[in-house]
Amino acid sequence: MAPQTRKAAIVGGNRIPFARSNSAYAQASNQDMLTATLDGLVARFGLQGQQVGEVVAGAVLKHSRDFNLTREAVLGSRLSAATPAYGVQQACGTGLEAAILVANKIALGQLESGIAGGVDTTSDAPLAVGDDLRRVLISLAGARTLQQRLKALAGIRPGQLVPEMPRNAEPRTGLSMGEHAAITATEWEIGREEQDELAARSHQNLAAAYDRGFFDDLVTPYLGLTRDESLRPDSTVEKLATLEPVFGTGGPDATMTAGNSTPLSDGASAVLVASDEWAAERGLPVLAHLVDAQTAAVDYVHGGEGLLMAPVYAVPVLLARNGLALQDFDFYEIHEAFASTVLSTMKAWEDPAFCKDRLGLDAPLGAIDRPKLNVNGSSLAAGHPFAATGGRIVATLAKTLHEAGPGKRGLISVCAAGGQGVVAVLES
Amino acid sequence: MARLELTAAPSMPALFAKAAVTARGRGGDLPDTRLTRTGVQVDAADLAAYARVCGFPLADTLPPTYPHMLTFPLQLALMSDRSFPLALPGMVHVRNRVDALRPVRAGEVLDLEVWAERFARHRSGATVDLCASVSTGGAEVWRSRSTYLARGARAPEGAPEADLAVEVADLARPVATWRVPDDAGRRYARVSGDVNPIHLSALTAKAFGFKRAIAHGMWVKARALAALSGRLPEAMTVDVVFRKPLFLPSTVQLATAQVDGGWDLAVRNATSGADHLLGTVRPR
Repeated sequence: MAPQTRKAAIVGGNRIPFARSNSAYAQASNQDMLTATLDGLVARFGLQGQQVGEVVAGAVLKHSRDFNLTREAVLGSRLSAATPAYGVQQACGTGLEAAILVANKIALGQLESGIAGGVDTTSDAPLAVGDDLRRVLISLAGARTLQQRLKALAGIRPGQLVPEMPRNAEPRTGLSMGEHAAITATEWEIGREEQDELAARSHQNLAAAYDRGFFDDLVTPYLGLTRDESLRPDSTVEKLATLEPVFGTGGPDATMTAGNSTPLSDGASAVLVASDEWAAERGLPVLAHLVDAQTAAVDYVHGGEGLLMAPVYAVPVLLARNGLALQDFDFYEIHEAFASTVLSTMKAWEDPAFCKDRLGLDAPLGAIDRPKLNVNGSSLAAGHPFAATGGRIVATLAKTLHEAGPGKRGLISVCAAGGQGVVAVLES
Repeated sequence: MARLELTAAPSMPALFAKAAVTARGRGGDLPDTRLTRTGVQVDAADLAAYARVCGFPLADTLPPTYPHMLTFPLQLALMSDRSFPLALPGMVHVRNRVDALRPVRAGEVLDLEVWAERFARHRSGATVDLCASVSTGGAEVWRSRSTYLARGARAPEGAPEADLAVEVADLARPVATWRVPDDAGRRYARVSGDVNPIHLSALTAKAFGFKRAIAHGMWVKARALAALSGRLPEAMTVDVVFRKPLFLPSTVQLATAQVDGGWDLAVRNATSGADHLLGTVRPR
């Protein structure tokens, strides 16, 4: 049977406000947050006891006991227990990748509806025993005689008893994501002031969006929070300029501060994706369609490319396949892992040499219209619970496009650990 | 009727101690005192700890059993007072009915009222009901009735017969097996403040005639409802009877059946098949 493809509709979304690490959601597990987020979506779209085609969601920092996290959250939610679910993990690209997977099955006619989401906690993070102690404990469990047990126990050293915290660092380079971003910022000569401007704009845009009720049907309060905890509505370039740099401080002109980098956060998001028919049968709106998507990866270890630069490579592939120019969009959602990441990304697209040598393009992609960028705020203000960011962006952009009227187009670009990038086009 | 308002939750270890030393020489009729607290707000950390021990997801609405955490200290204050006719040590929780009239959000400001009623005859003693009502802005949102059995005690002349009948469907198929660890009583005591010695250790339980520590009935009830998270009606009546004590540690099985838009439940010993809890959940 030759598949007749169709474009999947973004019907709506729900998320909980994002909290700062070890704050409002310190006692909440990934499963708690994902379940609450699914239940909020269920309440918003009247899905109580109903079966949706699939729920796809992931977490980046995940406890081994949560091997079936998404299915467990579904079973604890008000969705029908006959709703299948699976998990995905593509670092900070998880949430967007989940939406693409659901949308693709809908496009192929394999699903009529689905929920894509993501959740992360940096507070209730899984601790692991160190590798040496882990090996001792495994051999102890396998020991059959007292002698074997004593021998295994003799392998324990006091220093091994300190648990390993999950670190926001690349296993192959040992550098934190911030340090990687600082290298890229230096390479692209990204200044302190432009980073602070971008950060201040993010806070102001997000605050304005909350004030005009934009998030009323996208966010459900949770554990006392009604807005993202990192949001500073009164943020200004002047205030941000007073912060000390925290990344790249080994160099002479460190520019990256806690103000122009995303804070560690906790939260969850979910997006309802469906066929147009499924939405119409239920009288539900179609905010936008997911038109196409692309991933890319770069060799940030030995290849001389920046860790967070993969979306720069993914976007031209996506544009070419759809016959679009970078300027053919009404809105741009470039995930603000760091302000410098957004600025490096845009600078690379404008750079003739980079576009020719690295991207193999005859001409640079060019500049984007800055007032169209992250118009309702992004991760610097909202926070960035890794796997939850994709769902936040998809729902936010879909609603932004819907508000702007039919035929509007938006581009999503999300960078991810491991040198990966996920990008997508939505259209109202 | 006397109504007495407490300004804070009473200290429960002190109440258990007071009840123990004043156990002798009690008698007479139930006091008509009502104990109240107003403007009570749920502590987020307490709620999280309770949810974790009972297996509820951490959400913005209270688990249907949670208001009992707020009203039980007042009930204990009533029972430990000298005016209460029955001695607290040795009393066992035999039935609990919760009417959750609507979901209660964690941030709501609650008014509590508790009282005792229905002094009743039972073949091995007497029962009494400790009632609770929780309201917000004058509207009742939750109420409960906990029936306690005092073995060997005598109800007053003309008292009615105790009603401990909860009918459940044939629940032949277990749906879940739980290993209940030997510290289950201590863990629940920590979050509920119910430090009744029969739950804390084999040694302290033996002093009251139990061979080992027994699980709190309200923990068993909460754990069973937590297993139905996402599958419970918004407004409901949950009525359970506690049968054989659940000795710690134990392996138990939950059996459920969908009945009348709600559930029938049983928690049974995995080895002997003895019923620990039988109950019904009905939408209202």
